[in-house]
Amino acid sequence: MHELLLFASVPTHQHAELLQQLAGLTAMQPRHCFERRLIFKAYRKPGVANARVGASQDLQSGDLQRVNKMLNGGMFYTQVVGPVQSTDFADAGVTDAAANANPNPVNPDPDTDTKMDGMDSESSIPRSAYDFDQQSWQLEFRDIPEAGTRSAVTSRVMATAALPRGDIVPSMNAWGYSFVTEYLVEGDMFIHNDIVLNLHRVLHYPTTPGEENQPRHQMPTLQQMAPLEKSGSYVLQASMMVQDGSNQETMKTASQHLFGLREQLKSAVRLEMADRLSLDTRVK
Amino acid sequence: MADSFTLPLRPNLEKSDRPDTLPVEIAQINEQWGGFRDVNEEVLLAKLAEEEERGGPLDSDEDGDKKEMDTTERREELYKRRAEITQFAMASHMETMFALDFISLLLSKHAPRQAETSMSAFLKQVAPVGSLNSEVVHPPPKPDSVNKDISTVSRGWRIQNFNSAANKLLGAASRLEKEVEAETKYWNSVLAIKDKGWKVCRLPRERQSLGVQYGFMEATPVFRDRGLASLRRGNDGSLVLDQGLVPSGSRFVRVRVKRGSRITGCTKPPGASSNDAESIEQRILQARDSVFEDELFHELVREARAIASCGVTTRQNLIQIPAADDLEILLDLVDTNDESVHTEQESSQDDVVLANGVAHSIRILLSFAHRQNLHRRTQVPLPLTPKRRPNPEYHLLRPALAYLQHISEARYLESFVHDIVTTLRSSGFQVPEFTAQMFSNWNLPHHHSSPNALEGLVASSLKPIESVFQGNLLTPNSVFTVRMRTNMSFPPFGTHYDVSFDLPSVPDLKSPGNLSLREEVEAAVAHLLLLDVVMKISSVEADEEKKTEPDTPAKRWWDPIYPHMGELLLAYDHPEKHKKLRIVLSRDQLSLETYLVRCIDGIGIGAAEGRSQHTETKTWKLQQSPGGLNQQSSAMDFVTAEAST
Repeated sequence: MHELLLFASVPTHQHAELLQQLAGLTAMQPRHCFERRLIFKAYRKPGVANARVGASQDLQSGDLQRVNKMLNGGMFYTQVVGPVQSTDFADAGVTDAAANANPNPVNPDPDTDTKMDGMDSESSIPRSAYDFDQQSWQLEFRDIPEAGTRSAVTSRVMATAALPRGDIVPSMNAWGYSFVTEYLVEGDMFIHNDIVLNLHRVLHYPTTPGEENQPRHQMPTLQQMAPLEKSGSYVLQASMMVQDGSNQETMKTASQHLFGLREQLKSAVRLEMADRLSLDTRVK
Repeated sequence: MADSFTLPLRPNLEKSDRPDTLPVEIAQINEQWGGFRDVNEEVLLAKLAEEEERGGPLDSDEDGDKKEMDTTERREELYKRRAEITQFAMASHMETMFALDFISLLLSKHAPRQAETSMSAFLKQVAPVGSLNSEVVHPPPKPDSVNKDISTVSRGWRIQNFNSAANKLLGAASRLEKEVEAETKYWNSVLAIKDKGWKVCRLPRERQSLGVQYGFMEATPVFRDRGLASLRRGNDGSLVLDQGLVPSGSRFVRVRVKRGSRITGCTKPPGASSNDAESIEQRILQARDSVFEDELFHELVREARAIASCGVTTRQNLIQIPAADDLEILLDLVDTNDESVHTEQESSQDDVVLANGVAHSIRILLSFAHRQNLHRRTQVPLPLTPKRRPNPEYHLLRPALAYLQHISEARYLESFVHDIVTTLRSSGFQVPEFTAQMFSNWNLPHHHSSPNALEGLVASSLKPIESVFQGNLLTPNSVFTVRMRTNMSFPPFGTHYDVSFDLPSVPDLKSPGNLSLREEVEAAVAHLLLLDVVMKISSVEADEEKKTEPDTPAKRWWDPIYPHMGELLLAYDHPEKHKKLRIVLSRDQLSLETYLVRCIDGIGIGAAEGRSQHTETKTWKLQQSPGGLNQQSSAMDFVTAEAST
């Protein structure tokens, strides 16, 4: 499958207005969604990558080539995406016992910087009804965008697959992926004909010692999450999926739809293609 | 002033016959006649006659000259005149040039560069630039009378101009006032529409005019785009709803119920809800309803074509649905104001209710389909493929059709079971009541308020409809169940029956499985009851034996030799003389027949049984009225009597 994309940067002050404009354009209410995104990195397991070169009878040469390519080809970062509800976040009012006993920590103003270092920050991360074992996951593979395309949209190969619920790390390890880090995407989604419009921003978890090497089993409060972009600006992503990327006709139709949307939104935001190398998912 | 201003292109004609002033004439008369004393009437008359004498021949000469002028002379005259005109023009041109030169020379003192451009070459040679000057010369003071005249005239002009300017301004003001009034009226009505909750927006094609959106966002694109009309301003500021080329009359989908060849039920057109039918609100509502009804009929036709295999036929403006038995539903799109619509038919109350029910259900289902469209539209779309996605028909008719068919089948089955049970009861069997659970899979939600519950309610009506008939039989612990299921949405279409039972006395009996004809179900149920009756009769002996065992020897009793044929055997000691009881059960009668058979052990059947002519027959017919039981003896009495003889 192929994915065609256009991006635009949306400053904070324009966010509310753009939400309304998009709601009017798409004739639907925004669907607010949160996604946990875990980043996994492929690594080469020792001793796997030596396909037999000699007389192999059980593998045809074409198959052999494909296996060789799979084993020795480029490696990629992949994302494991899990949707979460706003109720999954710990409620700021219902903190655990330690936080309740000492409701007013050292600092009266909730400044994240001071919370990060110190014992109070750990104890004030509240618990929620979030059940990590029931978290559903989806594996999302995205290739580096195609180079040298003349059209003004980003297009890349993509694939999505459902994964088992719960702790995904052992399975991913077995497939040759190691956990790198995770972040949260908060945003609103709109559907305009075949185009998915995603107005989102990336949030970072508050750092907790000991939880860096595996996905979090508990969710902090939403207030504790800090945006990656300090100004709090959003990214508008218009994406369209095409079943068969080799079919020029559909690819052209899809990019034309995106260009039509770009024209419609011209007075509000400037949608443009992204820098190819900034979307590079290859492991170097 | 501007209206009357004309450019004087023609030279002013000197009027020769201008009346002279009186002093001039007096002076003239004095000069000509030498005083008034000599002038009297006679002298003047004589003078006139003399003049006439002299002038008469002069006129005739002129006439003769005119006649003599032929074409060449005319041409010459023409040339002469033309030359004259040219001469005049040249002279005037020369004079103008002189004037130009003069003014140029005069101006050349103050603006030499500018003036030089309009000077003739000759003048430049002859006179040096700036050699002429002008000075203001005070004219001699005019007499007062002249000054007074001039001031009067100019005052008159001014007044006239002021008047006309004032008229123009007043006209403009009143026009503006009217315009403002009209605009205010227009915008007030637009605001009133907006306050009512209608969506007012700019027209996409015509950016400068306003439109109101009253259509349904989730409708088929053709009808969705029709749901937008522009709000134009009439000359007096009234709001005009401009729907473009769409006919403005209101239409509705009429549902008629036909039994046999008679129309027995018909829906009424939706009446105008308020008195001011011409208000803009009413017109918007009417337009909305029309769009909805048009779309409804469009979708109905589309669906009717898809389910043509169920016997639905479509004409240009008519859909005929054979619902069940002789019942037929007719759907057509008619004008609300059409007089022929209101013709009174012989109608029955039930069928009017049925027609209204169908009319409401198709509308509710279309709204439901709209909601489903919204739901589908806001899902993450599938990847783009070159294949066009099919646009499936909405389920509008099919649920109604399924319901009608189901209820007809269920009623038939209910009446059949009721009849056969009543027949059995009339013969004295104590058949327990059976229960009919109609629409058993329609679970009404308890909370009707939330939108999801409403949608769930409608969605449940799209599922196959199921009814269950259940009853106990005569023999203990035996039960029968008929589960009927009607489905019009996906194959297999139609009504299907699932007959299941629990009959411990006939252990090897298999269920007939899935049946799809009502006659088959009838036969299955009748057979089941027949078996039950046979088993009941044969089991009585066992009961009685228990009671009477201590004192009397075992009585002979009926043995179910061929229960599926309804045959029981009363064995005698004589090997070739046995008594047979044959039971026949149908919907409206139960007959018991006993006769002697001559075959060995009585196990022969059909022609081999060696039947004797002597038969005893007893028949119980279906009695519609209860209480007729006592007129005849019961079947068990008959059986007991036959067994003992």
